[in-house]
Amino acid sequence: MGKSRKTVQIVILVAVLIIGGYAIGSALFSGKDEGPLKAGSEPPQFELADLDGHVHRLSDYKGKAVVVNFWGTFCPPCVKEMPEFERQYEKWKDQGLVILAINLSEDTLTVNNFVRRFDLHYPILRDVNRKTERSYGLKSYPTTFFINRDGSILEIKVGGMTEADIDERIERLLQR
Amino acid sequence: MLGVENTKCECGHQNSVGTVLCESCGKPLETDDLSDLPLEMRYDGVARRSQKSNPNFIDRIWNFFSSVKIAIHMIVITFLTAMLGTIYPQENTFINNFDPSVYYEETYGLPGKLYYLFGLTHTYESWWFIGLLVMIGTSLVICSLDRVLPLYRALSKQQIRKHPQFIQRQKTVFRHQLEDDEEQWSDQFGAQLKRKGYRIHRDGTALLAEKNRFSRWGPYINHIGLILFLLAILARSIPGWQMDSYVTVPDGDTVQIADTNYYVKNEKFTVEYYKDEELPDKLKGTARAKLFETKAVLYECVSKCDDQLQEPVLEEVKRHNIVVNEPLKYKGLKLYQFDFDTTPRLNAVRPVLVDKRTGETYGPFELPMKDSPLQHKLGPFTLDLYANYMEFAIGDNGEPVTLSRDPVAPAFIFTVKGPGLDPAGEPYLYFPMQKDKVKFSQDTINAAVAAKIEIRVDGMENVDFSEASTYLNVRMDRALPYVWVGAAFSMIGLLMGSYWQHRRIWLRIDNGELSLGAHTNKNWYGMRSDVATALQKTGIAVDPKSLDNGGNNA
Repeated sequence: MGKSRKTVQIVILVAVLIIGGYAIGSALFSGKDEGPLKAGSEPPQFELADLDGHVHRLSDYKGKAVVVNFWGTFCPPCVKEMPEFERQYEKWKDQGLVILAINLSEDTLTVNNFVRRFDLHYPILRDVNRKTERSYGLKSYPTTFFINRDGSILEIKVGGMTEADIDERIERLLQR
Repeated sequence: MLGVENTKCECGHQNSVGTVLCESCGKPLETDDLSDLPLEMRYDGVARRSQKSNPNFIDRIWNFFSSVKIAIHMIVITFLTAMLGTIYPQENTFINNFDPSVYYEETYGLPGKLYYLFGLTHTYESWWFIGLLVMIGTSLVICSLDRVLPLYRALSKQQIRKHPQFIQRQKTVFRHQLEDDEEQWSDQFGAQLKRKGYRIHRDGTALLAEKNRFSRWGPYINHIGLILFLLAILARSIPGWQMDSYVTVPDGDTVQIADTNYYVKNEKFTVEYYKDEELPDKLKGTARAKLFETKAVLYECVSKCDDQLQEPVLEEVKRHNIVVNEPLKYKGLKLYQFDFDTTPRLNAVRPVLVDKRTGETYGPFELPMKDSPLQHKLGPFTLDLYANYMEFAIGDNGEPVTLSRDPVAPAFIFTVKGPGLDPAGEPYLYFPMQKDKVKFSQDTINAAVAAKIEIRVDGMENVDFSEASTYLNVRMDRALPYVWVGAAFSMIGLLMGSYWQHRRIWLRIDNGELSLGAHTNKNWYGMRSDVATALQKTGIAVDPKSLDNGGNNA
């Protein structure tokens, strides 16, 4: 009887350890990915098509310095930035810079006209029904995420930038 | 070994360490206790399961959780910390994407900042609060197990003939010199108690009468319920078990419910207001909603769900008119009416093209505001969509721009080819909304071509717009059925323990001298009255009050 008592004790304490450990652990863990994104956190994954119908995943660019820019034709500072990003892309692409410009769920004609007008060569991705934009917790446009080679966010820039701003940040991003 | 405590009773029974009353004859074992005060009858005097003379490490942990005193401390701490969580609103009560690190300080000043820094803004999800719940759960299991098993053993093999000290030190006692035949009187007394619902056990002239033993299991059934309840609440942290989010669906749209495979369509949202004569005087003239209703259809995606290039294939699974308190329910998913917005939104128009020179009308053609086909052929005319704007405006540099992505003031630029027009096509700017047509003077911009053709909508039946958007609250709580089961067990246990009492009467007759002792876990008044009535029926008149032997809880 003493033996079975000991077994019961161990079984119960192990069950407590597993259930309690899971509950406390998930409480500890979930605290981390809640709240808005900030420098150092992991950006949410996305899977979006570009204008040619190629699907791009953020994970495809692991190990590369990535600039994710959210833009729309209805946002003048975004419109101003787009050709600047084009020049920066030409300047840094040989060093492995990736620019992913995510359009804010506008329609095809609008985006095509825009891209043709400015002759852009970096991938323009099409968000659908504001899904990606929501997962990134966007509040205003443009917003640009500079993502390190290790997949963490180096900096989040809300609002427009001058070309010098972009250049300086990309240089910093590529040095890391 | 430091020397084993002598726990052997004079009746020969070997009791385990911590036993208060001999498990067999009931004689008090504490040798230095010579008083004749009523006995401590808790758990029938048996030792808790974990009471050991030389506990090891595991036993020490076990003993910690086995202590009711520690359990009470844990419960009090949990109550106090739960109170802290009610000082300011918790983070999860905010619907929109908000930044708690700024919000609490801005709204409540320094106390708010400290509140946030201490993590009290998410008290009930914090590791230490969940840790407390886990400890209470552990304590419930161990406390119950440590007590219920020995109690069950003690109650299932009770000795009928108890030690005179045990009988005389009960809280309800009676002594009497019998003149009748002992056997006969015992039979009679037993029969009386039987009529009161007691079960009678005899051992010669010794008698044990027992009633409603099951009420002793009430607290333990209650504990099982509480444990289920706690486990169900902890299970909410399993991904997919709990969800509480919001979705906005304009009339006619189908929207994916975030993080699920479900899509919801709002076929029509209706809001009805009370008429003035239906309202009390002080509310007259105010808009009081009488009914909000969303004709909703729930779809499940069956294939191409994650394909960015193709439309997902949806299958209708449920159709329901959602009104307040009547959510759409499907497999644990619930959609509640939460709010609405009656800003109309233009979806599509069906305009015609009029050749002003001949008076001929071509069309109508379908022109959705978003993702319209790029070419429309209308009789001899071809319209190529050159550009579209959701909220048309003229930018600083004189170029047309859009101010937003919602069709607030939509405009389309077509390149029109056809009889009497430039073979390369002539641009035509078209505003579906009359107000914009006037505001931006469509005819002036279109200049010469406006004299030749016109694109216009004939009648409201050719206008498709959403009158309103409905806001739905999406909820999922798979733990809820288990919470209910737990609550039901807990209630059953409470009722068992509170509405019935475990009553026992022991008696023995030694040489004509009757000794009677009775015990119950509550309602001593009823206990004494049971004894007194049975005695009276057997010819011994006694005042129930005189049976009281003192002690608490009389």
